[in-house]
Amino acid sequence: MIESILLVDDEDLFHLVFEDACSLLDITLSLEAINSADEAEKRFKKWFETGDIADKPKCVFVDLNIIGSSFDGIELIRRINFMYGNHVVIGIISSSNEAEEQAKAVQAGAQFWIIKSDDIEPRLEEFRKDYSAYESRTASFKVYK
Amino acid sequence: MIVGKVTKEQLLTVYKTKNICLEGNILKLIDPEDDVEFAEYLKACSERDKENRRKRLEITKRIQTQNTELTSAQEQNEKLMQELQASLDEMEVSKAQIECQNKELLEWKEENEKMDEELREALRVAENAKIAAESDLDLMQKRTQFELINNIVKVALYIILGVGAVTTGMFIFAMAIGYDTTIISSAWSNMFGILLTNSFSIVGTIMGVKYASEKGNS
Repeated sequence: MIESILLVDDEDLFHLVFEDACSLLDITLSLEAINSADEAEKRFKKWFETGDIADKPKCVFVDLNIIGSSFDGIELIRRINFMYGNHVVIGIISSSNEAEEQAKAVQAGAQFWIIKSDDIEPRLEEFRKDYSAYESRTASFKVYK
Repeated sequence: MIVGKVTKEQLLTVYKTKNICLEGNILKLIDPEDDVEFAEYLKACSERDKENRRKRLEITKRIQTQNTELTSAQEQNEKLMQELQASLDEMEVSKAQIECQNKELLEWKEENEKMDEELREALRVAENAKIAAESDLDLMQKRTQFELINNIVKVALYIILGVGAVTTGMFIFAMAIGYDTTIISSAWSNMFGILLTNSFSIVGTIMGVKYASEKGNS
């Protein structure tokens, strides 16, 4: 089970779907969902600068296009990886399946790409199985279709 | 996470009497230890929680689908509205252009009417000028004709008077010197008769021409 998850997605309804799916699949006990990339960056900046990482999540799911934010999900992943120390399993959760975007995500340091759809549970189940490999940085980038 | 005995009893009482269960991820953290009844209680709570979450998940997914459809419909509506607005704007522009063209056409029509009036006036002036010119020409022709006739009549009269004078002179001369005047007298009388006849004929011709000219002018 993943210790804690942070979901960054502008769609509030998906927060509920993700939370219930994670609960039913026993993926995590602690899940927080926020709808702004700026807010996520602020938190990672604080954890990086203060060193107080008690409430820092172990895994981060980032939407590709976060409406209302200053930058997109790939840029958030790049900043978390290259500016705020990383140490989290991080990837994209999006309805998009564009290879070009996925290549950009890999360059930014994303470890996975989950295609968002109505039937998300099987993909989360598969992800849970691969999670330990992501945590140990032994898994290569994977797209969950 | 270990729950104390009193709390366990309270939770079980609430469950039995009011059918109220614990819910959420906290259930996954509580250890029932060896308490079978509490373990059963936690299992029931967990099943109910999962059932509730499943229901909520289904409903949320349905709402999400509807929301997506609504969003899509709204986007289409907005696109249609934008197209309508664009059409409306184009119509407004066309209307303004038509009004402008209409105004120009009206101005052009007014100018045309003005020009038409000017042309009619010019035509009228030209007609008058033409009539005046024709009248002048006619007058000139008549004048020339009259002068010609006048000259002819004068010449004719001079000839008649000359012939009459010569014949009369010869007749007087013959009578004065005593020559036989039989032939010359008959010749003189014939000549005089012819001259008088011709004179009246010429005068009649002049009068006729004059009368005809006056009638033509009126």
